[in-house]
Amino acid sequence: MSHVSPAIRGRASQTVLNLYLAFFFLYMFMPLILMVLAGFNDFSPPSITVWKGLTFRWFGELATDTRMWTGLLNSIVIASLVIVIALPLGLAGAFLVTRLQSRFNGLIYGVMVSPLLTPGIILGISTLVFWRDLGVSGGLFTAAMAQATFIASYAMLMFMARLQRQDVTLEEAAMDLGATHARAFRRITIPFLRPTILTAGVIAFLQSFENYNTTIFSIGGSHTLVTEIGSRMRFGLSPSINVIGMIFIVLTIVFAAIYVHFREREKRRAAAVLR
Amino acid sequence: MTSLVRSFGPSLTAAILLLTGFWIVGMIVAPQLIMVEKSFWYLDRGGDAGALTVRIDGLYNAVDLLGFDKLDAEALEPSAERDLKLDDIGRQVAATKAEIAELETREIKPRKVYSFTNYTLISAAHFAIFVKTILAALAVTLIAFIVCYPIAYTVAKLAPPGKAAIIMLGLIVPYAINELLRIFSWLMILNTNGVVNTLLAFMGLEPVAFLESGSGVFIAMVYAYVLFMVFPIYNTVETLDVAQIEAARDLGAPMWKIHWRVILPHAKPGIAVGAIMTFMLSVGSYSVPYIMTRGIAAPWFTQLIYNRFFESNNWNAGAAYAFTLLITCTLFIFLLMRIFRVGIKDIAR
Repeated sequence: MSHVSPAIRGRASQTVLNLYLAFFFLYMFMPLILMVLAGFNDFSPPSITVWKGLTFRWFGELATDTRMWTGLLNSIVIASLVIVIALPLGLAGAFLVTRLQSRFNGLIYGVMVSPLLTPGIILGISTLVFWRDLGVSGGLFTAAMAQATFIASYAMLMFMARLQRQDVTLEEAAMDLGATHARAFRRITIPFLRPTILTAGVIAFLQSFENYNTTIFSIGGSHTLVTEIGSRMRFGLSPSINVIGMIFIVLTIVFAAIYVHFREREKRRAAAVLR
Repeated sequence: MTSLVRSFGPSLTAAILLLTGFWIVGMIVAPQLIMVEKSFWYLDRGGDAGALTVRIDGLYNAVDLLGFDKLDAEALEPSAERDLKLDDIGRQVAATKAEIAELETREIKPRKVYSFTNYTLISAAHFAIFVKTILAALAVTLIAFIVCYPIAYTVAKLAPPGKAAIIMLGLIVPYAINELLRIFSWLMILNTNGVVNTLLAFMGLEPVAFLESGSGVFIAMVYAYVLFMVFPIYNTVETLDVAQIEAARDLGAPMWKIHWRVILPHAKPGIAVGAIMTFMLSVGSYSVPYIMTRGIAAPWFTQLIYNRFFESNNWNAGAAYAFTLLITCTLFIFLLMRIFRVGIKDIAR
């Protein structure tokens, strides 16, 4: 049984808790709903208190905004670079930590997860400083490197979780039967990791695409979709930003629903196996 | 090392070591070290750099003026006097150009001086901003814990599975929506003609200047980072065996005592992770103050860092500011690991 039986709780505390949840979700969703509504308001700057009638013209304005489109393209370029850089690094890190038997394991692990505990702006600025000293000025490449520093840590944690469930005897059996290390790696380890490689790729892409704080400090004169949205929020505010918000929210809900669906299915499967 | 070679063979081991080496040295350690090193020196241009630039500009003007004199002299009838004048102008041009060259090398190749100047130069005003940023981040962290603990506990232990899944979806959606958009949604609520001020006016109350006073930054910060506390606490509470809660109850413990003696101790690593993430995100947030101050309220520490680097173009001072922030976060992490008695392996999972 995974939850406390209702008999334990009093009815009054149940009511209080339900009220609290209702307030919390109102707090979480009200601002987002207002933002979406303002995207349909025929009034700029975006507002919900001054209502001038329903319009769809902000959609049109967004569609013809070339800076947004180049930003989107740059975001995709950076995210692809991040996948290519961060996944191999994370995988190598996970192999090192799970298989290396050394008293430095804790230290190595600590250093490899430290980017997750470092403020994003520090990762961004230190990457920019480092590459400028090597003669590479800020741009899409430095932004991708800065993001990959911490996204590789996420990938490593995901690979580690998977590797801890790996049956090492399979690899050993393959090699006893005459397979080379490379062959055992290719035919046993990689297929075992494939689902995680896929998930880590998706997570890396989303993390990169959404990133603001690290990117703004490392990208130099270029821009991504998200940094462009950021500067529009400060200068030249227009309801087309609300339309972007709407698009992001719809996509997020779809992705989150898919994620929760799979998670529940996995849970049920695990429960079925136990039974 | 032998354990690695046994698992992967020599060539794969080499690849693994190369990749991790590049990551650790080239992406994590070296950039930080170089930034720290930069924070400990500055460029001495021999007095005021601005005055030097003005002097060089003046000399260039002098060269241009001499050029006009030369044109005037060339227009004269050929004579000894004209040759003398041209000679004289030529000498003056050469002398001025030599002086420019000398000053310019001083301007281009200033002396590198190691010192703590970049740190000691942080003014009282900037230090106050630093303290304000830390206090705000601590407050965000505390609020996030108070708000999120009941929710995490409900999803993990109280709600029946179907309801828990729906609450979970309700948490994941706002958590996953882009940070900038979540911040932006508060702009319309808090600005001069925003939702809150319209409601206040409706009730006959004075409007509140949320954005100008900087309180808007704090409100949006709580909203933007509160959910980073939910999931770590949920993950640890979920692993608690319900039998422990029921046993405590059967033994007559009141609900608050069950939380204090059973659930909270079990959730410690999750609380530590949540607190570290929330604090780190708030103290290091550039997006929230960037959007919510709109240049009308006082800046936050992250904005000072940005300005040092990209506006006043003083990378050495910027590095010192950035390193100060990094040290603050590191100290906070070690402090929490001490208080909650958890290790790095518990924190990053």
